[in-house]
Amino acid sequence: MNKTEYVTKLTNELGHMPYGDVKDIIQSIEEHFDEGISEGRSEDEIAASLGDPKELAAEFKDGVKFKQIMKKRKMSDNFKGPDGRGRIFVIVFNAFVGIECWLILLFAIIAAFCCLAADLAFIGLIVAGLITGVLTEFIVPFIFLILTMICVAVFLVALLILGIKYYAKGLKSYIRWNKNVWNYGLGED
Amino acid sequence: MNSQIKKGILDLCVLALLEKGDSYGYDLAGNLARKVEVADGTVYPILRKLASEGVVSTYLQESQNGPPRKYYHLTEAGRNKLNADRDEWLKFCGEVNDILSKETGGKADE
Repeated sequence: MNKTEYVTKLTNELGHMPYGDVKDIIQSIEEHFDEGISEGRSEDEIAASLGDPKELAAEFKDGVKFKQIMKKRKMSDNFKGPDGRGRIFVIVFNAFVGIECWLILLFAIIAAFCCLAADLAFIGLIVAGLITGVLTEFIVPFIFLILTMICVAVFLVALLILGIKYYAKGLKSYIRWNKNVWNYGLGED
Repeated sequence: MNSQIKKGILDLCVLALLEKGDSYGYDLAGNLARKVEVADGTVYPILRKLASEGVVSTYLQESQNGPPRKYYHLTEAGRNKLNADRDEWLKFCGEVNDILSKETGGKADE
């Protein structure tokens, strides 16, 4: 593995760490490579001695986890009973913005599902028509129409997979954020 | 050695290396990996953690060849932590050695 490959792999493995942290980490690893190269070592050799990028990324993430735990501990140290403002904020925010946004997105996903179903049904009807011989005229345009509809179906499936994945992810972190505000208030320190 | 035990004690090793003077990542990685069986990369997550705890500080310094190096410096808090943890570790090692060493083990059996 050369320097670029190693750095790319490490970046990918670091996943959704804050951008500043990733930049900082990558900088120190690139510096490590440059020092080694100036000593006359090969990029492969340096990459091998650095260890598996996946494991290294996990160690960096452990550090972040540690930081989060410390932060939480600090928060609970300063904790003087539930913050009334935080709770009111969560209720008001959800009532007027939060829940609506998530419902709209949910409807969008359901709508995409319906479109996909309609699209597939339409394809099925035309194919059935062609096979049973009901449709005798305009066969070539119908075949083109089917091809177009198949493209639409593929696009919708991809959209749905991504949509559902990020919907679940987003909803999870949104709930976590709500819990945090509910328990610890809006304070940032 | 068991990696869990190693992990806990490596922070202390890095602090001890910095006690001898400020140093940069590549140098620390080499020094650590030469003495303990760990990958060179291991030192970087540790340095980040130590910096976030405030026991080491960082600064950039020009190097003769190439871009500036990020140097790590043991802070006063780091020095205190090192001394406290070192004493604790050495005491613990002594106790464990007493239990594990064959001589005393044999005597206890008799």
